[in-house]
Amino acid sequence: MDEWLNKKDLEFREWMLDERRRLGIDRAVKAYVSAKETALQKMPELEEMRKEVRLIKEESIRKMPELAKAAMDAIIDLKGMAYLAKDAESAQEIFKEVVGRGKLVVKSKSLTSEEICLNEALEEAGNTVYETDLGEFIIQLRKEKPSHIINPSVHVPREEVAKTFSQLLKREVRPDINGLVSVAREFLREKFCTADVGITGANVVAAKTGTIFIIENEGNARFVSNAPPIHIAITGMEKVVPTLSDAFKVVQVLPPYATGVLMAAYVSLITGPSKTADIEKTIVYGAHGPKELHLVLLDNGRTEMAKSPDFREALYCLRCGGCMYECPVYRILGGSFGNNYFGGIGIIWSYFTRGPEGVAAAINACTKCRRCKAVCPLEIDVPKMVETLKSRLVRDGYSHPRHREIMESIAKNKNPFGLER
Amino acid sequence: MADRLLYWKGCMSRLKVKGIADSTMELLDLMGIRYDTLGGDEGCCGSILLRTGYPEEAKKLVRLNISQIGDAGYTKMVTSCPGCYRTFASEYPKMIAADLPFNVQHISQLLSENLGALRNKLKPLKMDVVYHDPCHLGRHMGIYEEPRRLIKAIPGIRLAEFRQNRSLALCCGSGGGVRSALPDVSTAVAKSIIDGPLGPLGVRAIITACPFCYYNFNTAGGVEVIDLPQLLLRSCKGERSNG
Repeated sequence: MDEWLNKKDLEFREWMLDERRRLGIDRAVKAYVSAKETALQKMPELEEMRKEVRLIKEESIRKMPELAKAAMDAIIDLKGMAYLAKDAESAQEIFKEVVGRGKLVVKSKSLTSEEICLNEALEEAGNTVYETDLGEFIIQLRKEKPSHIINPSVHVPREEVAKTFSQLLKREVRPDINGLVSVAREFLREKFCTADVGITGANVVAAKTGTIFIIENEGNARFVSNAPPIHIAITGMEKVVPTLSDAFKVVQVLPPYATGVLMAAYVSLITGPSKTADIEKTIVYGAHGPKELHLVLLDNGRTEMAKSPDFREALYCLRCGGCMYECPVYRILGGSFGNNYFGGIGIIWSYFTRGPEGVAAAINACTKCRRCKAVCPLEIDVPKMVETLKSRLVRDGYSHPRHREIMESIAKNKNPFGLER
Repeated sequence: MADRLLYWKGCMSRLKVKGIADSTMELLDLMGIRYDTLGGDEGCCGSILLRTGYPEEAKKLVRLNISQIGDAGYTKMVTSCPGCYRTFASEYPKMIAADLPFNVQHISQLLSENLGALRNKLKPLKMDVVYHDPCHLGRHMGIYEEPRRLIKAIPGIRLAEFRQNRSLALCCGSGGGVRSALPDVSTAVAKSIIDGPLGPLGVRAIITACPFCYYNFNTAGGVEVIDLPQLLLRSCKGERSNG
């Protein structure tokens, strides 16, 4: 069997047989579905707003290069730094240049940073990196990869987290969820204050003002973006919208669909580095917040997606992750159903940001049932894109042997089962 | 000129789960609905080719099927399989950029239209059932009420609903070529419905209107699975459910 198929088959099997991971996902799905249902009932106005956001994203992707440039210009005007990285490698180079060597780095959750394998690159350059989002912290300690874009450790039940923390602290930690959260809080607090660099993602960026929006519930992104002297934010260039009011609409739609809350606990709006002019009206950068602010906008296949009428719609994705919890196959295959990005939309994203090899086998797990489209706040037609991508992959030599047999049987016998006519 | 109706069995009902085609034909006969089949000349609708990355191969079948059915003078066609139905009714016209020379229905639509002729034949069936919305029929084609209307027409039956139904119904796991490429995944998805949301409903059987769902739920096991025409036929015959 082809290597790319074989590898994924093993990965699928491993997930399907892992009762603990399934338990973690089952619990998360139940909690998510009921929380979202309640949130959407309480906020009927979201019905209108999500349609507005769809229009905002359509416009933003039409103008993606111009908006990226506008956001960068605005940040540079504010004495921040801004970069457009054409691929993962050049993004890594920017980070290595800004961070340097032997530094202590704290990070809040960013799938875009996973996309460019940032932690590996920074560690190779001799830096120490701490993930501070609880889920990311857990899987970093476990040397695993995220399995969901919002809840990266969704597959790790409390008993396993306790084992991981027991190893970290070299003492017995009980599988009590409150206690586990306290362990992370105590351990990471000191890291925030001593870190040289803080790295965050950005959920949306307002081009005109150069404002970076970071949405979170834990409060770690606030520490990461505020305590260290240098803050670097990385996000895909598709996240830039024209204005602050556009960005606020995105901010309202995202949390209920992402985690079933009416509003996230914290939304940080960052417009330039920290500054003061309190002494003789002389501007000094780095008052209480970071002296340096850097924004890295990542292309890495996004321009190609924006140009493609077949796949442009994938760039509208707000990354709420709701479709994953709602996907009947994700519930079975979890983090193996994709490659860094998960579920049907993840297949499209992985293809453009990481190439065909990693998704050519995973795509065969999508039933094209369209449930993801039905639950998507922007009604993104993922199954249609998956179908189009599938034919592109087949054309490029990644056909599944069973599907090839079926195709041949239909041509020969007029039925898919290899039965003689 | 009177309508000439073709019953397009589809590959699953024709070859794998023949009971669905047999029951459908028996039910149509019982209702006095005249139809033909293409017998051994029936081909493939192309749905599976479209889902598994062979749109060009599918296109070749489209012209072939349309002329075969149209030239034989059929004005109406009915399918057992929601996949065939969606492909013929919604995708063929896009692929040929024209309307089809015949009308296409899913069996649940045809039966629902003829419920008058069916109703007086339905005998009581004391059963608690739930209806599973097939993706190709529900979300893809918007047919949610016809199957429910038919089930509810059976005296004595109690129709429960999954907590998430209609446009939010869960996929059984067999669509899109998953059943052929990753049979274990398909079965696991079906099993997760049987072990999950089905349990609390306390029903005896899942009613489907799709041979793929029927096959996949049966493979997963642990619950009786009945295709819609099978259920209606059972009621017509006054058979007590086997339990």
